[in-house]
Amino acid sequence: MKYKIYHLSVLFLAIILVAGTNSCTDLDENLYSELHKSSFYKSRLEVLQAALRPFTHMQAWLAPTGQNGYYYHAELSADQLAWPQKGRHGYDGGDHFRQHYHTWTANEGRMRTAWTLMWTGVGYVNNAIADLEEIDYESLDISDEEMAAILGELYVLRAFHYMKIMELWGNVPIITAVAEPINPPTQSKAEIFEFVKTELETHVPNLLPYSEELIGRVSQTAGYAMLAELYLNAEYFIGEPMYDECIAACDKIISGEAGGINGTPELAPNLLETFSNTNQNASEALFQFAFSRLGGFTFDWGGFFMGYSNISRVLNVGYSGNNGFVVIPSAFDAYQENDLRKEEWFLFGPQYEYGTDTPILGTEEYNGQPFIYVNSIRRESQGDLTSEGGMALGEENSGARFHKYKSGTIDDDNYRENHYMIYRLTEIYFNKAEAIMRKNGGEATREAVDLVNASRKRAFSDEDWATAQYTTSTLTMDELLAERGREFIFEGKRRTDIIRFGKFTAGSWWDHEPTNDPNREIYPIPHTQLAANPNLVQNPGYE
Amino acid sequence: MFIFLWTFSLCMFAQDITVTGKVTDTTGEPLIGVTIQVRGTTNGTITDMDGNFTLEDVAPDGILDISYVGMKSQEVAVNNQTNIQVTLSEDTEMLEEVVVVGYGTMDRREVTSSIKTVSARDFNPGGARNPLDLIQGKVAGLNMTRTQGANPNSGVDIQLRGVTSLSGTRTPLIVIDGVPGGNLDLLQQDDIESFNVLKDGSAAAIYGTRANAGVILITTKKGAAGDPQFNYSTYLQHERVSDKPDILSASDFRDLISQGVINADQDFGASTDLFDELINKDNLSHYHNFSASGGSEKTNYRASIFYSNLEGIAKENSREQFGGRININQKGLQDLLTMSLNLATNFNKANMLGAGAPNKEDEMATGGTGDFEQAIQRNPTAPLYNEDGSFFETEAYNNYNPLSRLANREAWRNQQTTSADMRLSLQLTDEWSVSGFGSYVRDAYNDRYYRSSKDWDNRVGTEYQGRGFASKSNYLAWTKTFEATTDYRKTFSDLHTITGMLGYSYQYETFEKFRVNNNGFTTDAFLDWNLGAGSAINDTSLPRPGMGSEKQDNTLVAFFGRVNYSFADKYYVQGILRREGSSRFGANHKWGNFPAVSAGWAISEEEFMDDVDFVNELKLRIGYGITGNQGIPNYQSLITLGTGGVYPQNGVYYQTYGAARNPNPDLRWEQKAELNFGVDFAVLDRKISGSIDVYNRNTKDLLYNYNAQQPPYVRDLIYTNVGTLRNSGVEFQISALLIQKNNFNWNIDFAANTQSNKLTKLSSDLYEANWLSFYGLPSPGNLGDAFRLEEGGSVGNFYGKRFAGFTEDGKWLFYKQDGSTGTATEMSDDDLAIIGNGVPKFQASLTNTFVYKNFDLTFMLRGKFGFDILNLKELYFGNKKWLPNNLFKSAVTKHNQLDDDPQYSDYYLEKGDFVKLDNLTLGYNVPLNSSYIRNLRVYVTGKNLLTITGYSGSDPELQDTGFEPGVDRRDYYPRTRSWSVGLNIGF
Repeated sequence: MKYKIYHLSVLFLAIILVAGTNSCTDLDENLYSELHKSSFYKSRLEVLQAALRPFTHMQAWLAPTGQNGYYYHAELSADQLAWPQKGRHGYDGGDHFRQHYHTWTANEGRMRTAWTLMWTGVGYVNNAIADLEEIDYESLDISDEEMAAILGELYVLRAFHYMKIMELWGNVPIITAVAEPINPPTQSKAEIFEFVKTELETHVPNLLPYSEELIGRVSQTAGYAMLAELYLNAEYFIGEPMYDECIAACDKIISGEAGGINGTPELAPNLLETFSNTNQNASEALFQFAFSRLGGFTFDWGGFFMGYSNISRVLNVGYSGNNGFVVIPSAFDAYQENDLRKEEWFLFGPQYEYGTDTPILGTEEYNGQPFIYVNSIRRESQGDLTSEGGMALGEENSGARFHKYKSGTIDDDNYRENHYMIYRLTEIYFNKAEAIMRKNGGEATREAVDLVNASRKRAFSDEDWATAQYTTSTLTMDELLAERGREFIFEGKRRTDIIRFGKFTAGSWWDHEPTNDPNREIYPIPHTQLAANPNLVQNPGYE
Repeated sequence: MFIFLWTFSLCMFAQDITVTGKVTDTTGEPLIGVTIQVRGTTNGTITDMDGNFTLEDVAPDGILDISYVGMKSQEVAVNNQTNIQVTLSEDTEMLEEVVVVGYGTMDRREVTSSIKTVSARDFNPGGARNPLDLIQGKVAGLNMTRTQGANPNSGVDIQLRGVTSLSGTRTPLIVIDGVPGGNLDLLQQDDIESFNVLKDGSAAAIYGTRANAGVILITTKKGAAGDPQFNYSTYLQHERVSDKPDILSASDFRDLISQGVINADQDFGASTDLFDELINKDNLSHYHNFSASGGSEKTNYRASIFYSNLEGIAKENSREQFGGRININQKGLQDLLTMSLNLATNFNKANMLGAGAPNKEDEMATGGTGDFEQAIQRNPTAPLYNEDGSFFETEAYNNYNPLSRLANREAWRNQQTTSADMRLSLQLTDEWSVSGFGSYVRDAYNDRYYRSSKDWDNRVGTEYQGRGFASKSNYLAWTKTFEATTDYRKTFSDLHTITGMLGYSYQYETFEKFRVNNNGFTTDAFLDWNLGAGSAINDTSLPRPGMGSEKQDNTLVAFFGRVNYSFADKYYVQGILRREGSSRFGANHKWGNFPAVSAGWAISEEEFMDDVDFVNELKLRIGYGITGNQGIPNYQSLITLGTGGVYPQNGVYYQTYGAARNPNPDLRWEQKAELNFGVDFAVLDRKISGSIDVYNRNTKDLLYNYNAQQPPYVRDLIYTNVGTLRNSGVEFQISALLIQKNNFNWNIDFAANTQSNKLTKLSSDLYEANWLSFYGLPSPGNLGDAFRLEEGGSVGNFYGKRFAGFTEDGKWLFYKQDGSTGTATEMSDDDLAIIGNGVPKFQASLTNTFVYKNFDLTFMLRGKFGFDILNLKELYFGNKKWLPNNLFKSAVTKHNQLDDDPQYSDYYLEKGDFVKLDNLTLGYNVPLNSSYIRNLRVYVTGKNLLTITGYSGSDPELQDTGFEPGVDRRDYYPRTRSWSVGLNIGF
């Protein structure tokens, strides 16, 4: 018996030993629902899937899709849009107040989000470049030229990211590889500018011209539009005017040399086409996010721009929002009464159930009462019909509202198919006009006036046009900025524009008093990043 | 059959005699319930209230075994006596209590680390919604809170000795009958034999990487040789709301309208009490457990089946379950080979709709609590129904009609959990044995969700266009475990005892999920049972049908050993080492070592203590152990690509792929080093016994998704090891038999502990973070994060504005950093400060047990002290600015002066200290002189009967685990006072 037991025990120990030495110490991880790099990049389709990842991310910070990115900061710190507190809603830790008053600190949650969103974008581009530079693309039937175009698109996209990061923070590191070095040092705004300029000038000419096939991608029109913007702002960024270069870049686009979806880009004939739910092939389009509800990538501006669900019935749409951004009264007043944009691009006045004259009712201060958007941000429900109001004094119906992009009603075949325009031809006209005027000592020329009038004409009836059009004497620099504001309201460009015109820290508007602190023209580096990376240097004035 | 056997046995032993007698203790007091067993037979009885017994059919030469807990057993030869007087003396030896220590058991006197055992007789009486309810307040340092009161579909928040991890597992490892990671659903209260809580590192190190938060070992009842026994337990339970909020009624609301406080147009003509409408007033829960056990020394078994139907206080909120548990043990091969088998299963069906009907299918698991927020804030003059009987709906922000959701939605979870395990042990020599253990645990559920075409969220005008929405999802997880251990025990020259254990463990865990939804159902007749009928498949104007699936797995491998040495039953030393590898960690750090040492000195066994009569036991313990935490998501160290949404390639929308995370090949264990010092004592004939433990834990390399340096990292967060948490505290546990005379006993059990949790470090060589913040205050307002955890700061620090008063027109004034005051718009982050702390510094519970004859009365008081509560309900509902929603009455009384929008400040922090009458049970053991019925007990239990507190809000017992403690949230599940009647019968 004992003998047998020892046999058993030997067997048992043997099992333990085998178990202990072999497969039973295997701790490799099995992937099921995630993808390892080694099993990807097996086709041209997959190469492009990686190259396009930065685009789906970029909309989160650049488009008004509800995130605290570039757009949020570019609009709320400027003179056209605000997110006032509306009764018990919208205090949000005072975040929006500080944007409006320019009293932000290095410890703003939304600014941290903007930073991480934008640098994540750089990371996606760097990651895609690193992976694509390594692959054996010939075996995937991709030609040298094709690969060069794909990579060129990514280089230009990266430069674009840096340009936007530079606008917000000025002095930042330059990183072109993934995760190295771990703690990169801050470089000056001038160095960033030089990097962006060199990258764009090197790679933009190699991009493909814009065409239907490339909708939503970075083509030559996108590239030259970026260059035009960079050159236009060069005097602000590095103190060196580059207006001739700006004009040349604009001309590449205007001439059609850089391509276009339907041939040479042309100004839209009316105020609606470029923003409609059939704007995928808009004649003005130079660079756009190719949103599509049916494709599974809806342009959802509700978070910032839609009211609560009562407003859904105004538009007969299925989405609603946070009742967030409103138009600052002075920005709404900047439109003449006969300016058609005032009618076409805003929700204002009494609101009715779609297609009827049944009033929509309020749900907060005007609970159960007819809902009327008013051009004021003050406690009208408590009888204040005269004050200037203020950021803390909003109500559910305060301010005119966004209605520039229109989703169409819920039963529309193209419901929510709108693309978001990053660059459109009108901006190139404005850039060129501005460059001409700045070269000309701030005085308009005939060419500049024609460029601006070309788009302004859409905003006036034929009867009114005679008095509404600009002349070389009426198109002052201030007027140019004002018209730029009217034309590009809601397009996420205002902060940069008023900085270039010197109004950002010196100007006052509605509830905003000037800080006269030029350091406020760039934001502080978020404290979380300063803590994590000892080689980062805080921007002046925020130490 | 029984009756037949019984009469048969009567016939067989007709010549036997009848023995009567009395059992007393050394003072002459009669002992009640002493077991008297005729050796070698199943014939036995227990003494009655006067200590008397009568045993029929005793062989004249038989032997009686007389035993009683706490007394030395005796054997008495019958020798033809018909009257036997027995005096039992107290067992002054330490009670040979068996302590389960993980991969083995020990005698209590051998234990050198901090382990608390709670066995069935000490469980909290009454119906338990969760097995852990049985030991609430019984284990000093073990903190349990049911944040959703008696919601049968909610779990228990549980934490031992404070919070030990930022993002890893913070709840103790549950081990059921040796299966690590056991599922609590598999346990019914009547199937549990004991809980053993391994509190300190020197005890828990045997479970290595999963032991940071402590280990709870649960042992189920097993088969035992002897008379076949049947047991049946049941209870009925009814809940009543204990904390209805003090809101404006319709008439209060109208009074305020007439006073001009509320606009006249806010009177919608009805008078409703939505809170009342949401309560399931006729709720009744019942539970049944029937078990059978028996067998021989060689083969024995225990089998039980149960059924329960638990109803919550909310409508459409219930859980019905049934299942069973089987244990079979067999010895063979000349008693050298032992096989032990356990099978357990639980089938349950939960109605997840009530209390906060899920708005999306993926909210199923969390169980909403929003309905009662609506009950507070809904205008009490707004009708609930339209005149035509349809629901009166509102579209205001964060407003809905819960009754409509309850009527128009379905949300069910059908779950099945099963566990099977088997152990084979072979005794090789007297000293040496080996054993192999395998287990398989499978947990599967199927969720059903439906929103009908009549639901407000699906109405015409929404994207659902007045059509139904259905979804289904499945989840399947299984774990297989194989473990082999070998044990050795030898005593040399009667003084030295050595025990050794070596083992290997392999555990593979995986889960898979699948979900699918469709909409556009033109009929509500199918519910979710005909997903293909939804027209969203072809109608692109509807939201697209959705689907998803996922699978993950991970592996854990360990080698471990334990050595115990004792000398002369005075000195004890224990060493533990576990070497463990987890697939979850970085290639550079897959394996870790978890050592522990502990020692004990039984001072009371020393000769110099012989004269100290009043001390029965005195033992010092000291232990130091290192444990780990691998409770993090899988794959965090790998470079993988994840989907990034679709983008067109030449007009066709394809998925895009990008970096899924910042990989961290250096990812390693969180490591906790814990020093524990303890004293066990028993004095005055063991009438008073207890223990004191002092601990200090340092958990370093805390895993967290820290802010990555961006640039250069792709993603904003990196899962890495940075911070250090320090927990320290004192635990005190005492039991005393205060009165023991005649027919009356009074026992108390007291458990108390202090705790402190500090984040001592939040930086490493590579990373640095300044602080972490938690609990974003909810919309509207989004008033910021309520908590901040700073380097050097305590866990649970509230961080916000400091109230400085009101302006004349009722606006908030707060202190600025420089001591001046300002309004809300003038505040910046620099003006915020630590304004309170939500973690109780001191907790205590006291159980009193009175036994008088056959009656017993137990009541437990439990309290938590030294913490603040953020009264969020008051912050929002106690403010007139919350209009047009309904308000707390306090908005027009206590806070009437306030005329400003809600702000977060210390104005809303209150002391949370409370004492609760947690459990009151009156039981009666029906004296039966029956051969059929062994015992019969009936009882009545009341739970959560009374709360003494200065806190002005509702129930002050809130979540106090984790990093968001002490928040009285806006959405909630009403607390209840429950009464149950129960019956236990054995035959």
